[in-house]
Formats: sequence, structure tokens, C-alpha cells
Amino acid sequence: MPSVLRNEDLKEMLESSKESLKLEAMKRIVGLIAKGKSASELFPAVVKNVASKNIELKKLVYVYLVRYAEEQQDLALLSISTFQRALKDPNQFIRASALRVLSSIRVPIIVPIMMLAIKEAAADLSPYVRKTSAHAIQKLYSLDPDQKEQLIEVIEKLLKDKSTLVAGSVVMAFEEVCPDRIDLIHKNYRKLCNLLVDVEEWGQVVIISMLTRYARTQFTSPWMEVRFDENKAFYDSDSEEKKDQTEAKPYVMDPDHRLLLRNTKPLLQSRNTAVVMAVAQLYWHLAPKHEVSIVTKSLVRLLRSHREVQYIVLQNIATMSIQRKGMFEPFIKSFYVRSTDATHIKTLKLEILTNLANEANISTILREFQTYVKSQDKAFAAATIQAIGRCATNISEVTDTCLNGLVLLLSNRDEAVVAESIVVIKKLLQTQPTQHGDIIKHMAKLFDNVTVPMARASILWLMGEYCEKVPKIAPDVLRKMAKTFTAEEDIVKLQTVNLAAKLYLTNSKQTKLLTQYILNLGKYDQNYDIRDRTRFIRQLIVPNEKSGALSKYARRILLAPKPAPVLESAFKDRDRYQLGTLSHSLNLKATGYQELPDWPAVAPDQSVRNVEIVEPQRIKADLFWVSNVHCPCVCTESGSESEEESSEDSEKTSSDSGKSSSGSEKSSSESESDQKKKKKTKKAQQKKNKPAADRYAEIPAVSGFGSFLPKLEFITIMISFFYDFFFFCQHCLFPQNDSKNPTFRTSGISLFHMSFQVTTSSFGPLKTYELLHHMTGKGLSAKYHFPRQPCLYQPSMVAVQLFFSQTKQISHPKCVSGSDNKKRLEPGASVTVSMGIDFSDSTQAANFQLCTKEDQFSVSIQPAVGELLMPSTMTEQDFCKEQGELLCDSNSVSRNETRCLTHRMFLLSCRFGGRTVSSRALVLLSLELSESSGALLTINTEKSVMASMLLRDLKQALAQA
Amino acid sequence: MISQVFILSSKGDHLIYKDYFRRRNHYNHKDLYFLHIRQGGLYWVATTTVGSSPFAIIEFLNRLAALVKDYCGSLSEKSVQMNFALIYELLDEIVDYGYIQTMSSDVLKNFIQTEAVTSRPFSLFDLSNVGLFGAETQQSKVAPSSAATRPIQSSREQGGKSEIFVDVIERMTVVIGSNGVLMKADVEGEIRVKCYMPSCSEMRIGLNEEFSIGKSQLRGYGAAVRVDECSFHQAVRLDEFDSHRILRLCPSQGEQTVMQYQLSDDLPSALPFRLFPTIERDNGGRLLMYMKLRCDLPPKRSPLTFVCLISLSQELSSPDQSAELKPQSRAVVWQIARFAGGTQLSALFKLEVPSLSSASMLEVGPVGLSFELPKITATGLQIRFLRLSPVQPGPSQRWVRYVTHSDSYTIRI
Repeated sequence: MPSVLRNEDLKEMLESSKESLKLEAMKRIVGLIAKGKSASELFPAVVKNVASKNIELKKLVYVYLVRYAEEQQDLALLSISTFQRALKDPNQFIRASALRVLSSIRVPIIVPIMMLAIKEAAADLSPYVRKTSAHAIQKLYSLDPDQKEQLIEVIEKLLKDKSTLVAGSVVMAFEEVCPDRIDLIHKNYRKLCNLLVDVEEWGQVVIISMLTRYARTQFTSPWMEVRFDENKAFYDSDSEEKKDQTEAKPYVMDPDHRLLLRNTKPLLQSRNTAVVMAVAQLYWHLAPKHEVSIVTKSLVRLLRSHREVQYIVLQNIATMSIQRKGMFEPFIKSFYVRSTDATHIKTLKLEILTNLANEANISTILREFQTYVKSQDKAFAAATIQAIGRCATNISEVTDTCLNGLVLLLSNRDEAVVAESIVVIKKLLQTQPTQHGDIIKHMAKLFDNVTVPMARASILWLMGEYCEKVPKIAPDVLRKMAKTFTAEEDIVKLQTVNLAAKLYLTNSKQTKLLTQYILNLGKYDQNYDIRDRTRFIRQLIVPNEKSGALSKYARRILLAPKPAPVLESAFKDRDRYQLGTLSHSLNLKATGYQELPDWPAVAPDQSVRNVEIVEPQRIKADLFWVSNVHCPCVCTESGSESEEESSEDSEKTSSDSGKSSSGSEKSSSESESDQKKKKKTKKAQQKKNKPAADRYAEIPAVSGFGSFLPKLEFITIMISFFYDFFFFCQHCLFPQNDSKNPTFRTSGISLFHMSFQVTTSSFGPLKTYELLHHMTGKGLSAKYHFPRQPCLYQPSMVAVQLFFSQTKQISHPKCVSGSDNKKRLEPGASVTVSMGIDFSDSTQAANFQLCTKEDQFSVSIQPAVGELLMPSTMTEQDFCKEQGELLCDSNSVSRNETRCLTHRMFLLSCRFGGRTVSSRALVLLSLELSESSGALLTINTEKSVMASMLLRDLKQALAQA
Repeated sequence: MISQVFILSSKGDHLIYKDYFRRRNHYNHKDLYFLHIRQGGLYWVATTTVGSSPFAIIEFLNRLAALVKDYCGSLSEKSVQMNFALIYELLDEIVDYGYIQTMSSDVLKNFIQTEAVTSRPFSLFDLSNVGLFGAETQQSKVAPSSAATRPIQSSREQGGKSEIFVDVIERMTVVIGSNGVLMKADVEGEIRVKCYMPSCSEMRIGLNEEFSIGKSQLRGYGAAVRVDECSFHQAVRLDEFDSHRILRLCPSQGEQTVMQYQLSDDLPSALPFRLFPTIERDNGGRLLMYMKLRCDLPPKRSPLTFVCLISLSQELSSPDQSAELKPQSRAVVWQIARFAGGTQLSALFKLEVPSLSSASMLEVGPVGLSFELPKITATGLQIRFLRLSPVQPGPSQRWVRYVTHSDSYTIRI
């Protein structure tokens, strides 16, 4: 048993102490899984490694675990505690992957653990973890459907999430668990529409299809006008009443309906074909008729994609082109067949060309068809002939031309072409009852050479049907058939019997004997259909005493005028299915296909989608305030006139904002009290500022300052190193190796502290971040930067300055949050606003909305970790003392050695003391140069998450310097 | 929603098999839908149970093939077999419980731990390594074609060369009527960037300054480089495009199509090839086809591969050619190994056709040409410059390649 032996071998490798051996073993095991071979007996050996430190190994163990946990439930439970621990890891990726694997282990006993983990993760700070929890919902649901109610609660909570990362995943979960709970969507509808552009592409596909369904249940049909017109025609008598009704209520599109259409439109440019198709079907099913053509160009663009994509796009276009020729007519050239296309694509293109044919373009299309008939691809040539037939019936102007062309094809050397032409001519002749004689004669001549059964049968049928037009030829053909009857295919035999019967009725003199001969042959045929038919015909046409009643009508039965067949597109009834779905492509109802609901006659209540005005939001109430945004208008600079005006305006409006605020009572009272506070602090700050500025003026007089200047430069350089993280480095970074002048050092510190307000602004970071791009903001652009000054409103807030500028049209930005200040921005003008945000010492982004008169833009500000720190002054002794205290608590220390310092850092060995803005927690940072080229960077703080982030960022910054 | 993913060899053997539900017993084939694509000689198959959008799954498979190519360097049975652990890990990250999570290589590089295993370095005998640009390897100034077929991750650790490849690829669709009139000419082009730079923050690609989009936007007096339509990758920033025709982007590792464009009917330059066919019947009832083929490219530019398909004793004017009658497809294949610009070749085919009639004369044709033109673009699009910022530490190489393929070049007779 070689396989068992090999597995023994793998077991040994897994139990060895060498990581590399373990890794190699795991790779081979995963190889076994990948090939579909069983590796389940290795479970105990593998599961031991679940807590391995090596990430590569760990991941492979996860892969294994997910695959086999269901088979080895008891052993799998051994690994659960590892995951539970990992769920509390400070690293978001570890938390997320632990949740992923935990939820993939399909062991029913751990359902409660999973439920708990999902609930916790749904409230996690990291959007990535929340996204993972949304994915886990579906897994738990499939493992234990009884958890549905609890899971719906989680979904409801996650639907409120403002992160684009989460939106796609939670809608997937919604579609899987509770697609019928449309009420959960109402409040989130507008948010989803607005977020859509930024959601990752696979999420977009799911959200769009969900919103399509939603819109079909919540809005009234935009195609109403058309419908009423139809109704008028149908119900002429009571149309007057109806007319009154419709005229009283002309159709007005719900603004939310319009929002959806507007926000999905840019996605037509997506790189992902699935997104483009999703939007196209949304427009097809939701947009007013005249707007649907917006999607045409994008669909045609998809034709340049892979072959498989082309195939499905063409199928959808085929369905669309039947109903709306006009949509694709300008692009008719794109559907011309290329010699390199595969047959199934060629036939679809033919289908579309045929659908698009009209009086104007038929001549070009027919010319194109002519060359297609020559194709070596026989199936395609045959399909082309069918297409010509369809064009001929649909457009009466060209029927004759087509018929002549087809007759010419009868002399083609290729039998398949000839046969197909005969079949099509047969259909055409039925619609053209005038000019049969010549063509039928021509066909009779060909009859001996044609071997394709369908074609032979078609000729025979034509002979019988129009036997009176070719009285001389028809009996002769019958004679020939009588000779070869036994060797013919069944379908030809049936038509021979038919021909015999018809000739017997019209020309019994010549054909009586022949008919009887054929009927006798048919009577003993092997095929029961033919025996049946023969018996029936004999009773019908040959008069005898038994069947007198029917045979009187034999002539009327057999020679009745027959309706011409209608040549239809194969895609005619495909519009039963929603475009872009699997069912549509297969043309059959796939399992799990949800039919698209029809428009409601009366729109349900629109107000369900209204959302209360954004209050200061708590994402996780017990932990922290995410964004407590206050936005009084304080213009820092008064450059242009418009700014001054606007600041005056806004002062006015902010003073009476308490009255006019439309929010709830609570929020308005809050904002009032806030305003008072603000005013107070503002005054206080101004008072403080003044003396500080005075003192700054004195600084040059301080002796020894001149000698400090070079150091000052050095500090500036430092700032550029730390530009992203620290704004107060200059306060507390003091050169330690400067032992010559200890007194100066301390005085330097205090000096800087005094001149705080002024110096910071002169060193203020220049880096601004984009809040709102002018493209997305429709002309309004917003940038922000951190002035790195204490916030004027509350000491626990981080100051942020916003710059608004207007590029194009006029709009009215105002910040909804706390206060309403309305400003009017002229094109080209800009305005600066400062505000404070309490980040609660977390780098979680603060999300809020920027409202203009017409629009709302969701924006977010995410601070770098350094922005959350304030410097604090302390002596070197204090610094060491605090550091010692923090060191005692082992959790609060993060140490790391960085080796990547460059030569520029040679004189650097410094300390920084600061406090976090919000909770005033002490953060101590020291950088010590070691003898070797490395340096030791130590961060001491009780905020461990912050420490690790700070460490990472600093390392990066130092490495770049 | 994806139930399973298979990667099958061209013979149908399982190379990779991943089941996202592991509920094998519950399956009956009735409720399972198979979708597949073919790329790199491999079948990429996905099954789905619930009627989800076929677009999403086809798109997923195409992206998956592209990702595997990025990570393994090349797509072949061998490279997939050697990197099963890596591909399995990829599949694990991309799809969670049948739902596609992310396929962006920028996100994935944070998660993927396994190193790619590459096959032997380029050797002439390994045909799978000979890319589209194989023949250029003989020239010393040009990067070997295998340079662009290596895994993106190795550049991180093994100190692989930091290189960037920019390919301008155009495909021509041409139909020439039997009277020699150009009936249709389409060019579809794309600019493809393949990046092996671990720390490239921004790249600027400068196109011809006279490049214009649409008919109205002609600039200057010179021969404008014009396209009808243009679409860009979403990572491309166009703030300098209007004024200076510069594309700015931060390329993520691996391959991406930066820009796609299309030009119909109005080609700026003459067609590369013209064919002058004459078809006659001789007294012996044979069909005589006299083909005169002219290459209108500038001298020294010559197509690499050239196959002329005509729907046969042969007389050919140069020894570098061969012709063959393919009875199954009823076509004559005329292959020309070397075809210098500005020259003309002719061939006379005599075909014995039983029961030749005047009608059968009508059934001859059309002629299809297939070729590959290196260093030429049909639209005239050129890359003016390629700048990277910040300036890369250490040696970095930038390659720009142009090639024009025939997509469908048909001459009706």
C-alpha cells in the first residue's frame, strides 16, 4: 500500500520539530486535497499545528481544517480554542481569518460559539472584520437554519454600516438568508445607492440585482403612459373615466427611483463585465423606455471581451433587439460576422442582424448575408439561409429578391446549402401564393440530386400542395417515389403518402394505381407512424361503405388552404426571464431563479425610506464616540471677499440655528449648549493666545537663542521625517547628546511651550487630504488638514480644517451635524472651516455627510495615528520616571529595533512625551542610537493598539528618511 | 455563488479541484450548472447551483486565470501543477463559501504566503515559454520573451529585477471587397502594463501629443493619431491627459489593461497588405488561381508569421514559402516565412476540380490573412515616454513593445 506508506511519511514530517519539514508536508497534503484525494487520516497530526507561529504553515493548516473538520468533528473541536483566542487578537487580519475558518468548520456543536463570534465581529472596529462577519452569516445559516431570526438581527445591524467594504457582503447575506425581508432595506436604500460606486465590484453586482428587485416592488412603473394608451384602445367604452384619472395624476418618477438610476449609470464604465451587465439589466427593467438606450454602447463594448462573455452578451442583446430595434441599429456594423468568430457566436450575430433588419438597412444586410452563405462553416451557412428567409417574410419589399437569391442557391454545389434553401423556399412560397410554377418546376428537376431527407420531404410537400399548378410534373415525381419508397427516410415516406393522396383527389385518372401501390407499401412499413398514416389516408380517400361520412370532405380536409408559417426569432419568448440571469442564457428556469416582481399598481409609502437627520453617530456606544462633529464656522484667513461675507452669514445663521434646526428636540438643545461652550472656549483661547504671542515677540531677546538656531533647523528636518505623525515633535525632541549646555535645554523647552500657538502654525504641516473630489462632488471639492493645534471647542477633540472650493456650478455646501451654516459659494471661491472631531484615540474614520442644497455626499476623515497625540512637557527625570512606571505593566510596552536608519540620522537620539488627545493617556517615545548602525525605538503607553500602529508608522517614516 | 472550481488539463485531468460546500452527497447533476472557459490550454470550470449571473462567473474565471498567470508567471499545465499549493491558497482567499471576496492583486498580496515555483529558466526547447514575441530574443537589445512570464511575487524576496513592461497591442479586422475596395477596417487596441516593481508609486505614460479621440477633436496639422473611443482602467488618473496626453497611474503588481481604444473605418496609414487575385478556368477544366500579394509596410519591417488561407500543383515565386491543400476545410494554406516590407510575392495555384462549372467559380473565396507585425501599430499610437516616480533605487528596466495582430483580415473574391 504505497499511499498509506506515504501518509506515514507525512505524519513523521508533521511531527518533526523543523518548521520547513512541516511546511513541506502540509504542501504535499494540500496537493492531495487539490487533486481530490483523501487525506483525512492525517487529521490528528495536522490539527496539532493549528497554533503554529509560522503564518504560511498556519494558513495551510486552515485549508486542511476547513476541508476535513466535518468528517472529524471531535478532533476538530480541539482547534476551536485557538480560534477563540485569535478572535481577540489586536491584528484585524488575524481576527478576520480566525472568524473565517471558525465559521467554515461545519460542526453543529459549535453553533453557539459561532453565533457569538459573529455578533461580536459585527461590532468590531475594523470594517474588514465586520465584512468577514457578514460572510460568516451565510455559513452559519446553511449549517443551522434555526438561527435565522438571530442572524437577521445581525444583518439588520450590518445593513446600517456605513463602510463600503461591508455593504456588498451584507447584501449577499441578506439575499441568502432573508431576501423577502424587504423592510430591512427601506432605511438603507439611499445609503446603498450613494455608496454603490465605491463598493468593490463583486458587491456591486449583488447590490444592483437586489436593488432591481426592490425597485420593482416599491416604485410605480415608468412605462405607465404607454400602458394607458393601450388600455384606451382596448376598452373604448369606459376609457373616459380612466382618462380622467390618468390626467389627474401624470406620472412623476419617485426621486428615489431616479437616485438609483443616476447612481448606477457611472458603473457602465466598469472594468468588470458582470457589473456592466447588471447595470444594463437594471436599466432595461427599471428605466423609462427612452432612457434605456444609454446602456447600448457599453454592451457593444463588451463584445470586445472574451469569447465566453461575447456569447452571453449577444444572447442578451438578441432578446433586447427584438423589443427595441432602435437601441442597436446605429451599431449594426458591430454585429457583422468575422471570419475568426466561433460558430455559436456567428449564429447569434445572425440572429441579431435579422432582428435589426428593416426597410432602410436590408440591402446592406442582405449583401453581408450573401458572403456568409459562402462560408465553409456549413452550420453557419445554413443558419444564414434561414435568416434570409426570415428577412424575406418580415420585410415584404425584399421578398422577391430573397426568393430569387434562394433559387440561385439551389444550384449550389454544396448539398447542405441546397437543402436548407429548399426548406426556406417552401416556407416562403406559402406566403407568396402567386409565382409558384417556375420555382416548383425547377425544384422537381433538382429532386433526383437532393439527398437530404428534409429537403426531399419539402419538395414533395410543395408538389402535393400546388399539384394543380404543375399537373404534368407531379404524377411523374410520384412515379419516381413509388420506385424508391422503401429506401426513403420516414419523413420522406410520410410526404410521399401525402402527395399520393392529394394527387388521387385531383388527378385520380393518372395516379389511382400509383396511389394504391404506395398505400400498400405503407401498410407493411416497419414504422407505425407510416402504417397509421397509410390506414388513415386509405379510409379517407378511397370510398367504401364503412367510411362514407368523412370521405365526402376528403378534398376539403387535404386541400384546405394552409396558413403560412411565421418565421420567428428563437429569442422571442426569452424576455420571460430577467436579463443577465442564468435562466435567460439557458432559456429554462434554473433552480433558485427568482422571478422579477411586476410593478405595483400603487406605490407603497415613500416615507419609509426617509432617514432621520444624521445625529452624532455611535457605532459602538459602550466603547467610544466615532465622530462627534461640530462645525461652527471659523474662517482662519480672510483672503477674498466672498469668504468674509460667508463667515458673516454663517455667524448669523449659526446664532439662530437653534430655532431653525429641523432635527429632534434633543439634538437641537445639544447643539445650543455646545454653541455656548464653544463661544466660551473661543474667548478663553483668545485670551490665552494673546500673552503667548507677546512672549513670542520677546524670544529673539533671550540670550543664546542664536546658538539654538542650527538646532532649530535640525528640528525642522525632523518634522519632515515625522510629517505624517507628529506635530509637536519640535517641543519635546531635544538632543540628548548636547551635554554642554543643560540649562539651555530646559529653557528651550519652556520657551517653545510658551510660544505654542505661534510656532505651531509656522511649522504646521502642509499635507492636505482629499475629502471630496470635485468630480464626485459635482464641482464642490473639499480638502482637509490637521492644523495640529488644540481644538477650540473641546480639549478632547482633534482640530481639523476643511477647505471648500467651488469649481463649476453653484451649490450650497452646509454641514449637517450640530449646526446649520448655510453658505453660498461662488465658482472659483473657497472657504475654510475648522471643526473638531473626537476620535477617541482610534484611527477609525469619522464618517459624516456634507450637504448642499441638492446633494448629500458621504465623506470620511481618517486620521494618522500621530494626529491623535498632543505633546506634553516634562523634564527628563519625569520622563524616565513615567517610563519606568509604564514598564512595570508589561502589556503597555512595545519595543522594537529598527535597523534601516540612514546616515542622516547620526546625531539623533531623542525623546518625545505626549498625551493622547481624547483620553489624555501618556505616550512616551524614545529613540536611542546604539553602537551598531541600528537604533532602538521604544514606545511606552497603555494604549497597546496605538503603540503598535505608531511603531509601524514611525519605522516606516524613519526608513524613508 | 460558486459551488466548485476545477482547473482541468487539455485532456480533462483534474489539476486543481476546490469544493466550497463539501456537500457532495446532496448534489444531483440536475441542479448543477457548469460554466467553463478555456485559457492557456487549460479548462477553467466553475459549477453553480443557484441561478446567479453567468456574467459574474465567467468574469470570475477569466480573472482567476489572469491572477494565476500573474502569480505563477505563466499559464500552462506544468506551472499549475507545480504551484497547486499557491493556487489553492489563492482560491481560498478569493472565494469564501462560494462568494467572491476580492480579486484585486493589491489586496491579495497581503494574504498570500506561498511562494511561486517557476519552471526552468528560459530555454529554446521549452516551447511553452516562447511568447508572442519569441523571435525577438535573437536581438541583443531586447528583453527575452520569458522576461514577462514570471511570477509577480518573486520580485519581492528574491531581488528579482524591477522591471516594467508596457505593451501596445492592436488587432485588425479588415474586409476588402471583391473589387478591391476597403469595406470595413477596425482596429481594437490596448495598452497593457505588466509591473514587477515592488515600490512603484506612480507611473506616467506619455502618448503621442497629437493623439485625439473622436472625429471632432483633431489637433494640429500633422497626421493625427486618432481613435474613435477610448476607455481607461479605473486606477488611471487623467488630469494631465487632456493637456499633455499623459496617463498617470499607480500600477499594482501583475498585469493590467490600462487603456482600450477602438478605431473604425478611418485608418491613418495604408493597409499593410493588398492581394490581387485572379481566378480563371483553363482548357483542361482546372481552376487557376493567381495570387499577387504586396506588403506595403516600410522596408525592414516584416511580419513574423504569415498565413494566407485560400479556399493546388503550385508555383511559388520564392523558396521561402510553402503551400498545402487542406481537403477537410477545403482550403489552400499558403505560408510565407519571411516577407519583407515593400516587396511583392505571387503564387499560382492550379486546382483539379471535378465537374467544374461556372457556378463553382462563385464559391471560391474569401481569402483570409493572418499575421503578426512587431514594432508597428496600425493607429500610429506611440508611447512618448515612460516615467516612474519616485525614481527607483537600483537598476530598473522599462520595456515598451508594439505589436499588431490580424484578428480577421478578409479579402473577398
